[in-house]
Amino acid sequence: MEGPPYLEFYLDQCAAQDDCVPALSPLFSPIVPYDVYTPNPSSPDTTSESHLEVKDIPSDFSSVDLSFLPDELTQENRDQTAVRSQHEIEENRNTQSHQNKLPLPSEQDDELGLHSSILSNSCAHLHPGAADSAQPSAEKPSPDALPLVAMTPMTPVTPALERSGIVPQLQNIVSTVNLACKLDLKKIALHAKNAEYNPKRFAAVIMRIREPRTTALIFSSGKMVCTGAKSEEQSRLAARKYARVVQKLGFPAKFLDFKIQNMVGSCDVRFSIRLEGLVLTHQQFSSYEPELFPGLIYRMVKPRIVLLIFVSGKVVLTVPEMKPICKH
Amino acid sequence: MQRLHSGFQSEMPGRGCCPDCGSAELVEDSHYSQSQLVCSDCGCVVTEGVLTTTFSEESNLREITYSRSTGENEQVSRSQQRGLRRVRDLCRVLQLPTTFEETAITYYQQAYQHSGIRTARLQKKEVLVGCCVLITCRQHNWPLTMGTICTLLYADLDVFSGAYMQIVKLLGLDVPSLCLADLVKTYCSSFKLFQASPSVPAKYVEDKEQMLSRALQLVELASETWLVTGRHPLPVITAATFLAWQSLRPSDRLTCSLAQFCKMANVDLPYPAASRLQELVAILLRMAEQLAWLRVLKLDKRSVVKHIGDLLQHRHLLLRMAFQDGSSEMETKEKEQQRQRQRQGEEEVGHSTLDLSKGKRPASPALLLPPCMLKPPKRTCPTPPVSTVTGDENISDSEIEQYLRTPQEVRDFQRAQAASQAALSVPNPP
Repeated sequence: MEGPPYLEFYLDQCAAQDDCVPALSPLFSPIVPYDVYTPNPSSPDTTSESHLEVKDIPSDFSSVDLSFLPDELTQENRDQTAVRSQHEIEENRNTQSHQNKLPLPSEQDDELGLHSSILSNSCAHLHPGAADSAQPSAEKPSPDALPLVAMTPMTPVTPALERSGIVPQLQNIVSTVNLACKLDLKKIALHAKNAEYNPKRFAAVIMRIREPRTTALIFSSGKMVCTGAKSEEQSRLAARKYARVVQKLGFPAKFLDFKIQNMVGSCDVRFSIRLEGLVLTHQQFSSYEPELFPGLIYRMVKPRIVLLIFVSGKVVLTVPEMKPICKH
Repeated sequence: MQRLHSGFQSEMPGRGCCPDCGSAELVEDSHYSQSQLVCSDCGCVVTEGVLTTTFSEESNLREITYSRSTGENEQVSRSQQRGLRRVRDLCRVLQLPTTFEETAITYYQQAYQHSGIRTARLQKKEVLVGCCVLITCRQHNWPLTMGTICTLLYADLDVFSGAYMQIVKLLGLDVPSLCLADLVKTYCSSFKLFQASPSVPAKYVEDKEQMLSRALQLVELASETWLVTGRHPLPVITAATFLAWQSLRPSDRLTCSLAQFCKMANVDLPYPAASRLQELVAILLRMAEQLAWLRVLKLDKRSVVKHIGDLLQHRHLLLRMAFQDGSSEMETKEKEQQRQRQRQGEEEVGHSTLDLSKGKRPASPALLLPPCMLKPPKRTCPTPPVSTVTGDENISDSEIEQYLRTPQEVRDFQRAQAASQAALSVPNPP
């Protein structure tokens, strides 16, 4: 564990600054905690402007009782410093090359919609929620306005607090279901208009329906993969429709073990990102090979999400391991 | 040991006695590490250790496949040996220090311990050789590009990239990024322009150090202005080297194109280099706008090359003046208002010359953004309407039936299929 009590104190203060009570911000004016925007050392006015921005954040704190926050967070932070020490605690002292950094999306518990609290203002401050999980990376505060890296996110105390307007849009859902009966693919291809079957190319029938606009791969074992839906419910509805088609063709199809295998979403943070800087500061999680692919592959540990981050600020999120959700 | 005695005693009676002196005092002794039964009276060696089990035990032995035995782990398989040899060869071809060779060998051996690699195709094992060498070089900040390795291995970049990503994940390695400055140095040194030759006329010959330092400055400029992030590094360096070379003697070299330059220097021209050149020149033109004595010259993309030296000398200041990032937009807007007020104020006082120069200053600096953000978006993606699907809705029969063929359609389809197959099998009539 690095240093000193000062670091812990700083981290506590940072966590306590969550939810951004404007009254607290003057306390931290010498410190630039989550400054994603890198002020040029030669232009001190921009630094003060960034502090002004902190105050300008619209606050809807009426629902939040902040009096208990510091103590609770302090305790949780102390517990977590052990966790943090395992993860990277790096200092970033790069100067000019890091004008913009991507603040990593923070996770709100129980929200499948993958809300991220990335502010879309030009200064792009990150306001991590209170300590609950995830891997923060602490930096040494630099009062001399040297650029800092955004802290990695922590889940907020109150999930109801929406801090930014950026919500990733779901683009694709892949799900599987077991129809639990052997299928005659030739018969399906013959009797269904929306099916194609080319056994030499691929050993499954490719079926499509118009509403919801999806594609399904139906195998002779009775297993089916449904892709293209924009939400979990749509994927389930589509899978049921495919099962109905198969039923109508004369097979005793059931609908067993419906499982979402993969979800892909995308969003735009609306500012450019220095990928080479991001890979330096988050080396354990990032993989950036410009010779191979223009985007940076960020494997977030908690929550287990893989992000493709591009220089234009577009981010593609995918969930590689879907745990089954207990529904009713 | 007791069993040993008894076993032999039961099989060969008289074992308990020394054949020479007949004494029953047999002790187990070991000569070096071979255990022997020795008569303690006369020293005669009765038996020289057990080489095998008894026959009954041997019949319990079963043959198992090589992959299930431990032979795999104890020996170095032939393909692994071949791979290790190729790693050494590659390191020697690239003239890497010997320490690199050992590290690369270690990585290859570590990779081989994973079954996914052991059972991989030969093609993958070939590129794995290159991956290990590349990782070693990256970790020592030795500038080696994947393109070079793929050329040396006659491998496809796709196959290489798949193997590379897999091995980095499998071995859990931290591979630092390619060091751009070093790459500039090695890449520029490979340009054959430093001595006159039949293909390189004297006016094209350039001093290596000068060209190197200027190319480095141009690459730094490109990296600050978002031309390097997300792009393959080599084309940027090619473009920068070309500009550096041109600017050192513009009068003679402006007529030479990028393609001619690369051909003369005996270096492959990467396809994106032309577009990087355009982008870099556009940045330089923007910077030139900020210098008063250059503004009057009304430079274009060719004439700006003559002034690259000056522009590079003041590049930090010019960049700051020429560009703004989105965050200081408000600041510049305020400055604009201030300027306007100043202008109005000065008009009253009557400083006309100042007005002129202020009026000519570019109105608002351009945004310093990656080129992909400056281009207009190709197509607007409308946000899809929020769907209220629950997944449990009723599915009407008619909806499903629209996807099914009527019996008549089935018959027609079958007939058409049969006809097309018949047509395919019958050769074309003459």
